[in-house]
Amino acid sequence: MNNVHTTSRHATLSALLAVMTLTLATGCSPSAPQGSKQGSAAASSTAVATPASALGDLTPFRSIAADVAAIVDRGDLAGAKQRIKDLEVAWDSAEAGLKPRAADDWHRLDGAIDRALKAVRADTPSVDDCKAALGNLLRTFDALSGKG
Amino acid sequence: MNATHPVDASAMRRTPNPREGWIKVPAITLSFWIIKIMCTTVGETGADYLAVNAGLGQTVTRAMVGTLLAIALFMQLRAVRYTPWKYWLAVVLVSVVGTQITDLLTDGLGVSLYLSTTIFALLLIAIFVVWWRVERTLSIHDIKTRRRELFYWAAILCTFAMGTAAGDLATEALHLGFVRGAIAFGALIALTWWLFRLGGNAVATFWIAYILTRPFGAALGDLLTQAKTYGGLGMGAMWTSALFLTVIVALVALEHYTLQEASPLPAADATTHP
Repeated sequence: MNNVHTTSRHATLSALLAVMTLTLATGCSPSAPQGSKQGSAAASSTAVATPASALGDLTPFRSIAADVAAIVDRGDLAGAKQRIKDLEVAWDSAEAGLKPRAADDWHRLDGAIDRALKAVRADTPSVDDCKAALGNLLRTFDALSGKG
Repeated sequence: MNATHPVDASAMRRTPNPREGWIKVPAITLSFWIIKIMCTTVGETGADYLAVNAGLGQTVTRAMVGTLLAIALFMQLRAVRYTPWKYWLAVVLVSVVGTQITDLLTDGLGVSLYLSTTIFALLLIAIFVVWWRVERTLSIHDIKTRRRELFYWAAILCTFAMGTAAGDLATEALHLGFVRGAIAFGALIALTWWLFRLGGNAVATFWIAYILTRPFGAALGDLLTQAKTYGGLGMGAMWTSALFLTVIVALVALEHYTLQEASPLPAADATTHP
């Protein structure tokens, strides 16, 4: 009796797995850009004005970082602290999409973002430290994009 | 069978051996795997939300989730018999803590993913060796004593940590994004299930599937949450978690309902018993 039960359960499980695999397989094709983006980015980097990095388009993240840097330049450290959270949230939520493209580049940027977060969020943040960390972050963005 | 020997059956149900109590863990059904897979996503998004969006930071989040896990495991260990919500609450929290342990090793201590995957694999084998030596069984259907339950939860925590490390390793070393990751781990799960159907060892295939469903659940979660530019469905973490949480709550509620139907709690029994 037990066997009959488990067998029918296994049949359902197999059906589910089959459906899942099929769904994922069909869902796979629209994602082709994930793999091909690297290639096309490399090929077009000479022709296009804004080269994309191996990680893809990083402009949304870079522009927040530039924004934070500008706020720090104005001396508004409280404002910078508020704005840099947008970068943290955006960067964190895109991890699964970006990291597989170029894990080493991702770690380089992630480290630079971490140092910027640490500087801006220090108990007594110093303008110089913030400027240095953000300058380094922006240079990392540019270095990775230039690499395209 | 029950009809011909009603007294025997009920006696077995109602007077558990003092050393061998009620079974404390669920049967391995389709519902079990769906809840287990979805727990991964919900746990991870929940912890991420606390650490980043709510701004608590990793340290505070770790302490909070660790405390919650201690409470949930205490409730699970104290429960007289399998109680779906207690069991699954513990699984969600074990899932988060397992992930946090790996993240702490990788990001905090700079341990390479090759090393951590190996360490967790060896640790898991060690747990099974000790479990086997002490109990002479690794059966996941006979989790009836406190000691077996502790082995069971230790193994589960270890599989979540190992599944996280192995999944991250696949991302970094093989450039396995979530789309191909979901397909690859889904195919491995299907293969494991097929081996089980061919007569492969039930305990071994169960634990292999338990490890594989961790990166599979993470990839599936990413597939729904990630933006369309990255090949995801762009549902966002909040809606995905809400959807998964609804399914989990519904399945766990169903589990409570079917348990109640199949064998009423001893207390409810007592009144109708002659």
